[in-house]
Amino acid sequence: MKALWENLFAHWYKQENPTKTVIKQIPVFHELTNKQIREIENLVHKRRYKSGETVFKQHAPGEGMFIILSGKIKIFTEDKQKTKKTLALLGNGEFFGELSLLDSDTRSATAIAHEDCLMLAFLRPDLQSLSKRSPETGNKILFNLAKIISARLRKTSEEITETSSGSV
Amino acid sequence: MTSKLQTVEKFYTLTIFILGVCVVYFAWPYISKMVVILVFAFLITTILLPAVDTLERKINSRLFSTFFVMSGVLILVFGFLFGFASGMFQQSSEFYFRLTEENYVNDLNSMYESTVSSLPGFSSMSDGETPQLAERIQTFISGFIQQILSIAKSGVNFIFLTAIILVFTFILLVEYHHFRRTLVALVPNKYFEVGVRIIHNIEMQMSRYLTGQFLAASSVAILSFIGLFILNLYGANLTLIVFISIIAGLSNLIPMVGPFVGMVPAVLIAIMNNLGSESALSHLMFNLVPSPFFIFDIILMFVIVQQIDNNFITPVLVGESVGLHPMLVMISLFIGGTVVGPLGMLFAVPTAGVIKVISQEVVFLVRYAHLL
Repeated sequence: MKALWENLFAHWYKQENPTKTVIKQIPVFHELTNKQIREIENLVHKRRYKSGETVFKQHAPGEGMFIILSGKIKIFTEDKQKTKKTLALLGNGEFFGELSLLDSDTRSATAIAHEDCLMLAFLRPDLQSLSKRSPETGNKILFNLAKIISARLRKTSEEITETSSGSV
Repeated sequence: MTSKLQTVEKFYTLTIFILGVCVVYFAWPYISKMVVILVFAFLITTILLPAVDTLERKINSRLFSTFFVMSGVLILVFGFLFGFASGMFQQSSEFYFRLTEENYVNDLNSMYESTVSSLPGFSSMSDGETPQLAERIQTFISGFIQQILSIAKSGVNFIFLTAIILVFTFILLVEYHHFRRTLVALVPNKYFEVGVRIIHNIEMQMSRYLTGQFLAASSVAILSFIGLFILNLYGANLTLIVFISIIAGLSNLIPMVGPFVGMVPAVLIAIMNNLGSESALSHLMFNLVPSPFFIFDIILMFVIVQQIDNNFITPVLVGESVGLHPMLVMISLFIGGTVVGPLGMLFAVPTAGVIKVISQEVVFLVRYAHLL
């Protein structure tokens, strides 16, 4: 009887789409309703990168953020003497480049696929058209981005205060 | 070795590009109609897309929101056409009734006879030439029937094309975001971000252009309405002026031919309403120029509206909407008109806008090529 019941209402027991699960975890998309998450899901671009392939280069104009579904991404900077400094090795469910959603400033670091990757890209044109079509969703995302920037600014201020108090 | 490989790659890319151009050139006669259908379907999709997107969020179904929006638009269009056609039919039947009941036929005949007698070529025509004239009339009638048949054929073609455009528009509206994502998916990773930006900018450009066109058409309709209303104050006795104004606004979208098409219903209605009125027949424009049935007043009014539209409204509204200088708008209209004709003029400004976006992106790509 239980099996019949589960078969009839199989879609009720259906596991959530992994893309949707990952999107929900990203701070940029916090507090969005299921309907709004579905809208984002229909808007993001799924991209595959082979190991060693460049996602974007330092100083290149940025267009948006990337969310890692599988694989690893290496973020590093390169100075004028071509010395590389690895900043982070990001894995499943992590994201980068979110500030490019707000401005078209150049990228501060290079991102390269450390192994074969599957990623979601959410770009500024997508956010712009989303804000036009669904201002409420657009506003929530912009508010979340403001929260992220504010948290980073607070952290930087604290670090500066600590450094300056340490030096005195 | 790498530079050699790059040269070979460039050579292959160039060969494939040239081959592609050749294929399009030779296949153009077979695909041109389909391209025009797709362009029209895309333009209508761009106009209706915001409405479909908004409704989709409310009712949660893309298919039904597309269906409702398209049904609404079709009802509006057919309602307008039906309203205008029934108004015109009523006007024509009243005119016909008056024509048969009163002595206008005799008036027209006497007017014709007086005209013929004043023309030396006609008055000197001998009796022997009469059969030749009958033959000419026969030829004219058969030619006229052939023309009607060809018009009917074009009408059927037009209905068929409209149906195909509507079907394509429906599919494009339902699958728009899916098609867009598929197109983006085809862009290589290297050009992914730039690709999305180009597509977005072209969409914005088209949307702004269509908004500009809509504003220009509305302005012409409003100006025509004001003009016709003023003419009525001076006794032009024009009816259906709302319909005439809307037709003038819409026909204005087709350059060159459009303004004349907009004029025709107004002139016809003026003749129908004023035939038999002595004051209308002997009306003088500015108390100076003879203008029977206010015909020349109407033509002058439309010419003034056209001048205002061509010199002020279109260059400012449409030019600004695509971010092109008014001078460039005129140059692109001239080139489009010279190369392709009226249809070329219709697509000249959006094409110039798209070329502008692509050129800007090419400049951008060249500047940042080393970082891609």
